[in-house]
Amino acid sequence: MIKVENVTKRYGQHVAVDNLNFTVDEGEVVGFLGPNGAGKSTTMNIITGYISATEGSVTVDGYDILDNPEEVKKRIGYLPEFPPLYLDMTVKEYLDFVFEIKKVDKKNKKQDMERIMELVRITDVQNRLIKNLSKGYKQRVGLAQALVGNPSVLILDEPTVGLDPKQIIEIRNLIKDLGRKHTIILSSHILPEVSAVCERVIIINKGKIVASDTPENLSRRLGESSKLSLRVAAPEKQVIKVLRDVAGIKYVEAQGAKEPDTIDVWVEAEKDIDVRKPIFHALSRAGYPILQMKSMDLTLEEIFLQVTTQENGEVS
Amino acid sequence: MLAVYKRELKAYFTSSIGFIFMGFFLLLSGFFFAMTNVFSASPNYNSVLGNITFIFLIAVPILTMRLMPEDKRQRTDQLLYTSPLSITGIVLGKYFAAVTVFLLTLLITCLYPIIISFFGDIAVWEIVGGYIGFLLLGSSFIAIGLFVSSLTENQMIAAVITFSSLLFVWIIDWVAQGLPTDRVSGIVFAAILALAAGGFVYYNTKNIYVGVATTLVGAAIIVGTYFLADKYFFDGFIVRVFEWFSLLKRYEEFQMGVLSLSPIVYYITFSAAFVFLTIRVIEKKRWS
Repeated sequence: MIKVENVTKRYGQHVAVDNLNFTVDEGEVVGFLGPNGAGKSTTMNIITGYISATEGSVTVDGYDILDNPEEVKKRIGYLPEFPPLYLDMTVKEYLDFVFEIKKVDKKNKKQDMERIMELVRITDVQNRLIKNLSKGYKQRVGLAQALVGNPSVLILDEPTVGLDPKQIIEIRNLIKDLGRKHTIILSSHILPEVSAVCERVIIINKGKIVASDTPENLSRRLGESSKLSLRVAAPEKQVIKVLRDVAGIKYVEAQGAKEPDTIDVWVEAEKDIDVRKPIFHALSRAGYPILQMKSMDLTLEEIFLQVTTQENGEVS
Repeated sequence: MLAVYKRELKAYFTSSIGFIFMGFFLLLSGFFFAMTNVFSASPNYNSVLGNITFIFLIAVPILTMRLMPEDKRQRTDQLLYTSPLSITGIVLGKYFAAVTVFLLTLLITCLYPIIISFFGDIAVWEIVGGYIGFLLLGSSFIAIGLFVSSLTENQMIAAVITFSSLLFVWIIDWVAQGLPTDRVSGIVFAAILALAAGGFVYYNTKNIYVGVATTLVGAAIIVGTYFLADKYFFDGFIVRVFEWFSLLKRYEEFQMGVLSLSPIVYYITFSAAFVFLTIRVIEKKRWS
């Protein structure tokens, strides 16, 4: 459905997107994951024809974005990072305008509009000026705009940014529903979001693809976090002494006391060794009760570090 | 194009820009109408139209400053450029919206000659001719404003540069009078133009050979004209080039009530050229 071949985008000396290659099949939901400035938005802007690539080609449904821009643009609904809204229009006027510029068949306009507004739940604000809407509603109007004309491809740039937790869940469910009928590319810098919605994740960093896999495979490859955070009711020195003797622990780091008469420590285990039981036995034998033990979630930075170092490791 | 046109036209009146333009224009034209016709009891309305052309200097920047930058600021350009609309359609829609606001304002000023007609005879067709010229002149100025607004993302800068550009076009006849008219400076100026054309082509194609070729073709034309065709062609060449841009000079005929084809074609070509340049600038921005 979408084919991106050798796409490079340069701004003067700066390379925003570096020789990107990937395909998205019909009906697939693909997540773009990457830190700020990784080239996610640039790639999306190129696929939608907002800016052109310095090199390479993008084809959507067999049409090249440069040779047949109109055919490509008809097939794509795009929600940019900042929803492109005319603040001086009401929601209904705005969607009317989008209907016209997207050259959608006017026959079923009324039903289509009602269906879209129902879908993103903006029916009750349709006569209000967009500038008076809250951030969450603006985001939904932006999403509604992308759905106009029932395009086969949806490209959503950070669709849940700035929404409250309830709205985030709503939008995620909506995207999941839409994924049954549309091909979707969505970007995010939040890992759980991408793994909740997407069948495949493409991780980009500094304009390059560093990994592309299903969320399950990706987290298996990254491995469960081997870092643990512990809170033990005991003096610092003894705890560290006991933990150092447990087999499989790489290092122990004291974090100071957050509750009176306890100590927080971070423990990192050797790869592929579960040290939770040995830690429990060792500390209970010493008579120090464990008040809290949890594995520490990987931050995005750590994931990138892991992915990039792994990739490098494979190459060399 | 029609959708963009309708939206822009509406936006002129949901924001206050359209009303500010109309109010400003009507206030000054009304003042001149009162001074020229009412107080001096003269039926010569065309001289009012001739006298109020200076209003364009201030009014056109007001009208055009937000045309392109506003979309950039609201990021709605992402919506427009990723829709199946062509850039040409978008730019034309915006241009015609601005021209329409101007046209509506002119229609209101039609009240003035109607008022005169109650008290005396008016030269109807002269006035119609004057209005056609006035509309074309204004449309040309609006095209300049549109072009300038595509160069910057800041509305205030767009307004100031538009004002300066219009002022330059305004005084171009005076400027031309002070320029050298001898043959050598004419040839030097033509050479500079050829070089600039080469630079422009290179900037747009990023191909040094095409750019150099353009300059060489220009140089060949200069040499050819001088030795083969007309030795005297370059006498007063600079002045003639500057006069090409003299929008006001062409208006004089209309003001006298003469409706001839060449100034009409001139104004339409002038506007089309600037609309085309605007389209080029926007496409260029998306490519770099």
